[in-house]
Amino acid sequence: MNILMAAICLSLGLGGGVVLGLGRLSHRNYLHWPCAAWVEVTRAIPALLLVFWCAIFLPTVLGRNLPLFWGAVLGLSVHAAAYQAEIVRAGILAVPKGQVDAAIASGLTRMQTARLVVMPQAFRMMLPTFGSFAISLFKDTSIVYMVGIVDLLQAGVIVSQRQPNRMLAAYVCMALGFFVVCQIMTRSFGLLEKKSHTPQAQ
Amino acid sequence: MSGLHYNFDWSIAFRHPYSDWLLTGLKVTFLLFFATSILSLCLGTLLAVMRLTRIRLFSIVAGAYVEIVRSIPGLFWLLFFYFAFPEILPFGWGGRLNACIDYPIIAGIIALTINNSAYVSDIVRAGLLAVPAGQRESAVSCGLSRSQQYLHVLLPQAIRIMLPPLGTRMIHNFKNTSLCIAISAPELTWATQQIESLTFRGLEVTALATAFYCAVALILGYSFRKLEKRWQARIQNNASWITRQYGILD
Repeated sequence: MNILMAAICLSLGLGGGVVLGLGRLSHRNYLHWPCAAWVEVTRAIPALLLVFWCAIFLPTVLGRNLPLFWGAVLGLSVHAAAYQAEIVRAGILAVPKGQVDAAIASGLTRMQTARLVVMPQAFRMMLPTFGSFAISLFKDTSIVYMVGIVDLLQAGVIVSQRQPNRMLAAYVCMALGFFVVCQIMTRSFGLLEKKSHTPQAQ
Repeated sequence: MSGLHYNFDWSIAFRHPYSDWLLTGLKVTFLLFFATSILSLCLGTLLAVMRLTRIRLFSIVAGAYVEIVRSIPGLFWLLFFYFAFPEILPFGWGGRLNACIDYPIIAGIIALTINNSAYVSDIVRAGLLAVPAGQRESAVSCGLSRSQQYLHVLLPQAIRIMLPPLGTRMIHNFKNTSLCIAISAPELTWATQQIESLTFRGLEVTALATAFYCAVALILGYSFRKLEKRWQARIQNNASWITRQYGILD
């Protein structure tokens, strides 16, 4: 459940994050200021509050019925999008400006420059930060325990409360579960970095 | 889409019992934040220094601690300390802990400290390692003992380097105090939930709480940036003083 939710939120957040990050970088003020304000405010709110908003209060205000799972996913995606906007922005800004100049001098249009020159390099540079954010998001998916969704954390608590004799064992199992998945994610992101030849500062 | 199915009533936050709960929530949130920040700074620095010592046992223990804590969500530690820890304490201390009326807050402080100190120790360690190696060697050659090296030479310079990520971590810690409602510590988010369950007017109160978190986080971020700028100049002055005092050439 955690993994499913983390995967969905990561992908949605990535989409939203790219949009927000690009908007924040644009020179047009009507795009720049709303995106910047949104990202700053969303980063300043705890993730738990965001999840509460989207899962519980938004349906009340809009008068619609929203399944709890999708409300929580929406909340975490908004949270993820704000953080990923920053990552995207940092990645794009880290591409040496000479590349863009060379590309324009070679006759590529701005869109082609962005697509063919800036994006691949920016993507490689933001991969480490993105990986650590993915791990952090996976851990944050346990927050949805507060709105009532049963995830690994909640399952462990339920088990431990049903069998008080085995409480410590239940907690240790839960911890092991998280630990194993996080370690797997960390190692695989490290491998991914090595394989994609992330450029080091030269 | 039909209109908003909700009548806003913004005075709910100021009515008699609810405003008390909100204020208590504010106090507890700040208490949690300051206690965990200070404690995790101390513990994190201790862990970082342990990881850098030559004694294998210390560095392995500290390294394992940081790895484990970083792979587990903070909510786990909160639940563990509130539910499981009193059970595993011997001699009936657990019963006394459970009966203590402020135990949620204490458990929250302990759990958040443990969670935060792992990240802080990584930041401190990175800062200590980023100090130019020449400083350490010069300090050794001047005959300073290890603790003197750390106190007078390495830490002051490391603080300047590690201040940005440390500031981010502290703001994250502040936001994490909202997790403590899982163990019913009476902090701000918990107060809003209580009001919401009683009056069904949670929207206004949560909006206020959100504005509060947002404002404090933005203020904290701003003040950390100003602090960084001031410390940069001051630490450089100090470093040059040490250089002149001890005749260290870098």
